[in-house]
Amino acid sequence: MKNLRNSWLKYATISVGVLLAVFIIILLALIVTKPTPEGLIASITSKEIHFAITLSLLTSLVSTFLCILIGVPAAYALARYNFTGKNMVNALLDMPLALPPLVAGLGLLLFFGTTSFGRGLAEMGLVFVFTPLGIITAQFFVNIPFMLRIMRSTFESISPRYENVAKTLGCSDAQALWRVTLPMSAAGFFAGSVITWAKGIGEFGAALLLAGAIKWKTETLPIALFLNMSCGNLDMAISAATILIIISVVALYIFERYGGASRF
Amino acid sequence: MLHIKNLSKDLGEFVLRDVSLDIERGEYIVIIGPTGAGKTILLETIAGIYPPDSGTIILDGRDITGLPPRERNICVVYQDYMLFPHLSVEENIGFGLVSRKMPKDEIKKRVADAAALLSIDHLLHRSPETLSGGEQQRTSIARAIVMDPVLLLLDEPLSALDGQTREMLRKELRRLHSLYKITVVHVTHNFEEVFSLADRVAVMNDGDVVQCGHPDEVFRKPNCEFIANFTGVENIFSGTCIQQDGASAITVDGLTIISGTCKGDGEVCASVRPEDILISRESIKSSARNSFKGTITDIENNGVVIKVTADAGIPLVSVLTRQGYDEMQLREGDEVYLTFKASAVHIF
Repeated sequence: MKNLRNSWLKYATISVGVLLAVFIIILLALIVTKPTPEGLIASITSKEIHFAITLSLLTSLVSTFLCILIGVPAAYALARYNFTGKNMVNALLDMPLALPPLVAGLGLLLFFGTTSFGRGLAEMGLVFVFTPLGIITAQFFVNIPFMLRIMRSTFESISPRYENVAKTLGCSDAQALWRVTLPMSAAGFFAGSVITWAKGIGEFGAALLLAGAIKWKTETLPIALFLNMSCGNLDMAISAATILIIISVVALYIFERYGGASRF
Repeated sequence: MLHIKNLSKDLGEFVLRDVSLDIERGEYIVIIGPTGAGKTILLETIAGIYPPDSGTIILDGRDITGLPPRERNICVVYQDYMLFPHLSVEENIGFGLVSRKMPKDEIKKRVADAAALLSIDHLLHRSPETLSGGEQQRTSIARAIVMDPVLLLLDEPLSALDGQTREMLRKELRRLHSLYKITVVHVTHNFEEVFSLADRVAVMNDGDVVQCGHPDEVFRKPNCEFIANFTGVENIFSGTCIQQDGASAITVDGLTIISGTCKGDGEVCASVRPEDILISRESIKSSARNSFKGTITDIENNGVVIKVTADAGIPLVSVLTRQGYDEMQLREGDEVYLTFKASAVHIF
């Protein structure tokens, strides 16, 4: 009796999992097989999609770099040091993760568009509203929690005693970090960078509000998908989607392959 | 050489309270104590990992209390090796020499020498993860030795190893110490390591060094109940001590025990090590001044030795070898005589 019940539960739960996987495959296949292969190739090789690819790659690479620049030190501090208000800071840094990107985008728009700080930046030539700079900022703001969480858990998984040993062997604090902790967190760093980059490429909501959806100006792959979809240009929209799918699959593979210990 | 004075540090979970300890050059000192006694934090504070809340550390006449670890030339070996996984064995051993910006060929030579000394010269190209526990610990010892440290700190260096490897590495440590006269502070909770390695032993409890001295002295004459308990002294009594003709008589539950070491009158604690108590079937005439008749209440077979507890008004524990036990054919309920010298009674 018990065996039967166990196997019932087993098959039921397995079926749920498998059905979900099948559903995902059907969705992806539907997108990729909708247009004719010729139409798809023509769209992918079109000037507009090239522009979107280039802009997406550029903005996502810069925003990933910024996420590394800010996220790695912050994650290190949160993993290694105790300070008053640490829990608060931790919770706040995770906030963009829970926040709808549109709301984040609205906040960014108000910050850069209405405050004197934002206007000051604009006067210096750093215009964030309706420019590629805005895309980078939106990607950075929405994705920094990913970098932060992955690096934090990576640093936390490395015993501080490695640094202690390095320091007794002639390293300063910074040298111990550079020669021991950073190389030891290479896998987590790589996984974090890849996931941040992939999320950056797909960023839509926040970028839409801050940088707008302007053809040939702030048209990243997701924006190209949105714009072409709105005016019924299905082949173009799907070609943008196909490229996004490929990037997601590659990123997921790399993350699963090398992310190993780092979960977030 | 190293003078630790009134060192205090509060890390929340682990605490040092007003620790003072003097270490001589070339000395091998073993610090023993229960888990959470503050042994590791003491080592790490000596190494400079944590700045102490108060107190001073003087090394060769120089106050190093505020110095960063890298300017102390004090090396640490941890229980779990802490070898850098992204570097080869060779790069691990040479890590500190690279920090000193030594020429490459000089590093290579010194690393090879240190590796040969610890018999790991055939493993230099390997990654630490592929080594056995013993080999990993040899590597981390080599990594410290190659720096020619003024002080070598070992934090339970043998605890993670299996019996045979532990034995071998213990001999190795003794050899290294007698060869180079390195000053070593070795933290452990293993008594064998104390007797086989220590010039002096310091017992730590609750963040403080409670007794420090030659191992025999500390184990035979514990200065407080904690050490007596911790070091496994079975027979601890408290009673009233009265001076009698140059010796002292301690009255414990109506029983009078003669001790050679009681200092004054009053309430005292006394201990007798089980191996100092002789068990016999007949009363024996000897110079030993304590002899009691008792009934065996418990016989505990530990394999190598047999622990016999007899009630002589107070419970007295004695140990016998298996051979002695077999010859005497003792049973629970048997009447026996328990004899020990006045000098075997230690007062604290």
